[in-house]
Amino acid sequence: MTAETHTATTGALPVLRWVLRVHRRALLGWGLALAAVTALYVSFWPAMGDTAEMQALVDSMPEAVVTALGYDAIGSPAGYLESTVYALLAPILMLVFALGFAARAIAGDEEAGALELESAAPVGRRRLLLERYLALVAGVVWLAAVVGVVSLGLARAVDMEVATLPLVGATLGLFLLVLALGSVTFAVGAVTGRRSVALAVGAGVAVAAYVSNALAPLLDDGRWLELVSPFHWYLGNDPLNEGLSVVGALAPVALTVVSLVIALAVYDRRDLGV
Amino acid sequence: MNPIIRTEGLVKDYGRGAATVRALDGLDLEVAAGEVFGFLGPNGAGKSTTIRVLLDQLRPTAGRAEVLGVTPQDGGPHLRARIGYLPGELAMTGRATARELLRHLTHLRRGAGAERIDPLAERFSLDLDRPIRSLSKGNKQKVGVIQAFLHRPEVLILDEPTSGLDPLLQHEFLAMVREARDDGATVFMSSHVLSEVEVIAERVAIVRAGRIVDLDDVASLRHHAGQRIELHFADPVDTAPFREVPGISDVEVDDHHLTCLLRGEPDPLLKVAARFHVTRWSAQDRELEDLFLDHYRVPITHTEVVGHDR
Repeated sequence: MTAETHTATTGALPVLRWVLRVHRRALLGWGLALAAVTALYVSFWPAMGDTAEMQALVDSMPEAVVTALGYDAIGSPAGYLESTVYALLAPILMLVFALGFAARAIAGDEEAGALELESAAPVGRRRLLLERYLALVAGVVWLAAVVGVVSLGLARAVDMEVATLPLVGATLGLFLLVLALGSVTFAVGAVTGRRSVALAVGAGVAVAAYVSNALAPLLDDGRWLELVSPFHWYLGNDPLNEGLSVVGALAPVALTVVSLVIALAVYDRRDLGV
Repeated sequence: MNPIIRTEGLVKDYGRGAATVRALDGLDLEVAAGEVFGFLGPNGAGKSTTIRVLLDQLRPTAGRAEVLGVTPQDGGPHLRARIGYLPGELAMTGRATARELLRHLTHLRRGAGAERIDPLAERFSLDLDRPIRSLSKGNKQKVGVIQAFLHRPEVLILDEPTSGLDPLLQHEFLAMVREARDDGATVFMSSHVLSEVEVIAERVAIVRAGRIVDLDDVASLRHHAGQRIELHFADPVDTAPFREVPGISDVEVDDHHLTCLLRGEPDPLLKVAARFHVTRWSAQDRELEDLFLDHYRVPITHTEVVGHDR
């Protein structure tokens, strides 16, 4: 009756805007946390990284530990920023956010019944899924941007010599890593409708990716482990010096696309809220 | 005229392999344009499953479902734009206020019904500016009812609509259903309590274990259900004269006390009872659960269902 006659403009992507609105406090909080952590480490650089003591400390550690922690180059500005922020705290914090967000985006809200009204509305299933996926993308973009902007700005302020282009590339790589693992989590949730399963699989893949990247250099034939580790795709090429590598760009994009295609195909066919 | 809602041999299984549970077992249903149709059954009979098939949230295992002439899957968003839906279990959490949620839902309908949020909230005395999670069950149900009616849909599919509403609001809800019907809408509402739907529904289907076991207009159904009569007498009575009374069954006498089931007019029974000294009496409409028990005991025959069908 009136559905067709209404012409009120209500804006594009209503589901995306709703999800972001619902999570606006969380998004703000995570942004502030990442900004604080990044700022803390960068501002420590003049006191800690740029000293002979730091290098001496690393030298005194067993070589295997140094390699596993990725502290090989902690005495250089790029090495310090990578060891502390880009290879450790930023991806871990962002993954905690992204995996939780991705598991909720479909599966969590479906289990809670929060999708019941949305899926009964005149919104196609694929569109509903894509808009909720875009909310995940937007969240990860936001956090990666916070890390990148704070790093860049504060590094300038404390005279930490990190080249701009590699830093932008590394930030893009960070975004792609977190998005890829978030997409796996999102897809498992979209396929199963179970938040706990999505979280377990997503966290399992993330931990395996991190551990395999850390352990691979210590093994005699650890090369294959590096090939399948999304953390190695991201970090293997020393991104803060060399920028984003081809593998670092394409491999996570491939994982992301495959996850999304599977999520779309299955979600379109299965029963909802069972 | 084509039916607005139609299911034919609808089957829905949950789970796979040995764990398969059959929720719908060949459900046949037709709801005509402009009618208020009651869909009755105990919990777990398949009411919500049927409804969720109609909204394309579940896909049938076998058989066919149609709303407004198309299957829910083929109809997709265009079909759902013409339906108003109240879920049986309303999950409403989060910090968003009722107004924010209702506005969001109208955004999904390209703004349809946005201008009705305030009037309907006022009608149900719902405070729109409180966070949804702080609302009582009854207030959440109000939000659910309002969102179903907002866009003046052609078809209203309401799963247990009056649960959680107090009598005053039930009254308001029924008034809204009547208005929607008078505007030409078709209303399909489920319940597990006959008294909830009998005041508004013209026809009622009873579903049990995934099948329609009875389909009737409400008056016949009420007649069918009958009344539980209790009579107390001053002196002990014999069952014999009562067994002869037309419309009476299940006569039991315990000394001064007689109980029986009455279907139809009470006049013949009263005339027989008047031969004795009646000290107390009561007549109680039977609950739907009793009807289900009847269906267990005496499976309804095909001809009987057809006989009452119109």
